[in-house]
Amino acid sequence: MKSLLNAWSWLFLVLILGFFEIYARMETGQTFLFRIYNIQSISVAASQILLLSLGLTLVVVAGHIDLSIAFSTGLAAVVMALVIRIIGPESGWLVVILAMGAGLLSAVLVGLVNGWLVAQLNVPSFIGTLGTFGIARGVALIVAGGATVSIRSEEARSFGNGEILGIPVPVLLALVLAAACHFLLTYTKFGVHTYALGANRASVERAGVDVKKHLVMLFVISAITAGIGGLVYTGRFSAGAANAGEPILLYAVAAVFIGGASLTGGQGTVIGTVIGAFIIAVIQFGLVFSGLPPYWQFVAVGLVIIVAVLVDQSRDKLTGKLS
Amino acid sequence: MKNLLKSAALAAALLGAVASAPVHAQDGAKKDFKITLVPGLTTDAFYITMNRGAQAAAKALGITVDFQGAEEFDPVLQTPVLDAVIARGPDAILIAPTDATQMIEPLRRANEAGIPVVTVDTFIDDGKYQDGSGDGDFPVSSISSDNVLGGRMAARAMAEDMGGKGKVYISNVRPGISTTDQREEGFKAEMTGKFPDIEVLDTQYNENDASLAASQFQAVLARNPDIAGVFGANLFSAIGAGNGVAGANKSEDVTVIAFDAPPSIVDNIKSGVVDAAIAQHPAEIGYYGVMTAYAVLTGQSVPTTIGTGFTVIDADNVDDEAIAKFIYSE
Repeated sequence: MKSLLNAWSWLFLVLILGFFEIYARMETGQTFLFRIYNIQSISVAASQILLLSLGLTLVVVAGHIDLSIAFSTGLAAVVMALVIRIIGPESGWLVVILAMGAGLLSAVLVGLVNGWLVAQLNVPSFIGTLGTFGIARGVALIVAGGATVSIRSEEARSFGNGEILGIPVPVLLALVLAAACHFLLTYTKFGVHTYALGANRASVERAGVDVKKHLVMLFVISAITAGIGGLVYTGRFSAGAANAGEPILLYAVAAVFIGGASLTGGQGTVIGTVIGAFIIAVIQFGLVFSGLPPYWQFVAVGLVIIVAVLVDQSRDKLTGKLS
Repeated sequence: MKNLLKSAALAAALLGAVASAPVHAQDGAKKDFKITLVPGLTTDAFYITMNRGAQAAAKALGITVDFQGAEEFDPVLQTPVLDAVIARGPDAILIAPTDATQMIEPLRRANEAGIPVVTVDTFIDDGKYQDGSGDGDFPVSSISSDNVLGGRMAARAMAEDMGGKGKVYISNVRPGISTTDQREEGFKAEMTGKFPDIEVLDTQYNENDASLAASQFQAVLARNPDIAGVFGANLFSAIGAGNGVAGANKSEDVTVIAFDAPPSIVDNIKSGVVDAAIAQHPAEIGYYGVMTAYAVLTGQSVPTTIGTGFTVIDADNVDDEAIAKFIYSE
């Protein structure tokens, strides 16, 4: 069943790639897909979305949601930029790495609070993380003094904009993290428990799993990948902004559901989410590259979300029939 | 695992099939230039009017100007659009950067691809280009209203209406946007310098949310019952604050000065929600933006900054024919 769904999202990705390739050739006589620049640009955009949605995938599989990721991203971005600004960029990589550690730590705190709210206090994750969304946003704005924290660090810049073997660093980072999350969810007991938690919490509890601890870990993982998204942001733009993740929160959530996750939990894969993020990035880039009027972006984003929901529904029907 | 292998295979296939990076062939004799205008957001009357001016210039020159942007005023959304625009390889890019620092890196890519960049309305870095200082020194020109001056004009209009004394505050979007920051700067400087009896309270940031701006006014009013003026540093800030004023039945006592003049401003001025609006000349910005890019493309030297004007619109002149052309179109 799972492989069939992944096949659907693959097919969808291939279809839109094909559409843009043909359209671009007809319209501009240029190739869309077979250019390093295009692939790099799309991959970087997809990676920024992906870093928010990787940990989220695990949370959703467990039957929860994490809306605070948008501002875990912003908080980590601001903290990283501030540490670099305070210590000064002269110390090179040392200060950048220190700053990244601090940024990540701030995100982990958000994750811990989320986990505590959901696991310990039984606050519904939608409400709880909506609360921490606001708190993390406020804290990030306070820490940043309301402004964007700009930095001048060649090291941070190369972290966000550099390439290794032609692959942009943010893409490399997102892929490594995706592989790690995929491994965690597919090949470990932790992953098995995560799926089981989304399908039937009681059975997992009966099996003797410490559900509370498990939930806290899930939210911390979600905060970590989002936080890394913030570090990438600060590197890419040489500035930390409190609202770094906000405009792509919708895309990040959409990527998870396009990728085959279900609102009710127990379903979803990391590879699906990766494809979901790429589908969104390809559409964004492709519409502009094709020279279509910018207002098509609204239509496209809306369509993608509806398609995601339809896929979700039809899957539920199918699984209902098959089981 | 199978999927992972498949993705690896696909990635390898893609990389293997890749041709060279986009380098736009520049032909000296070429006249049918393609310029892309990237607005701060695509749905705003200000940028739509700017595009109208840009199209007028394009028509005059016999060249093409595309209009491509994101749905919100945000660097995270503008960057992928800009990347895709660069991939299309236009001859020049006109852009309203959505953040003064954060858009430097993304625009550098255009510069590295050999595409001249002209900033319109907003700017990057310090807005002073080609002077050998700053990370964002590479754009060829910045064409915008002098927003500091606009802020000063707003302060003058307000002080006049208030009789030169009282408490006011600025309703602003968020810090970090070059244009609105400058309006605030100009407003404060003029008040401090010329109107010592006017006290400027803390700025309220509304994230471009009119309803938040409205409730902020009411909060400020609760704390300062003698508040006498609000300067809305952009459209939503002004409309929101104006509605807050009207909701509190304070229209008589509180002066609301708006920045920008979309069509709805006419109604707001007539109904008294807003006392006066400082209209920029976005069509002028678009027109001179295209002209500047064309000059660069044909080997002419260009001024690194071009300042465009303002018009103060209030209840007395809002119906004038001569003023109507400064109201933005949609």
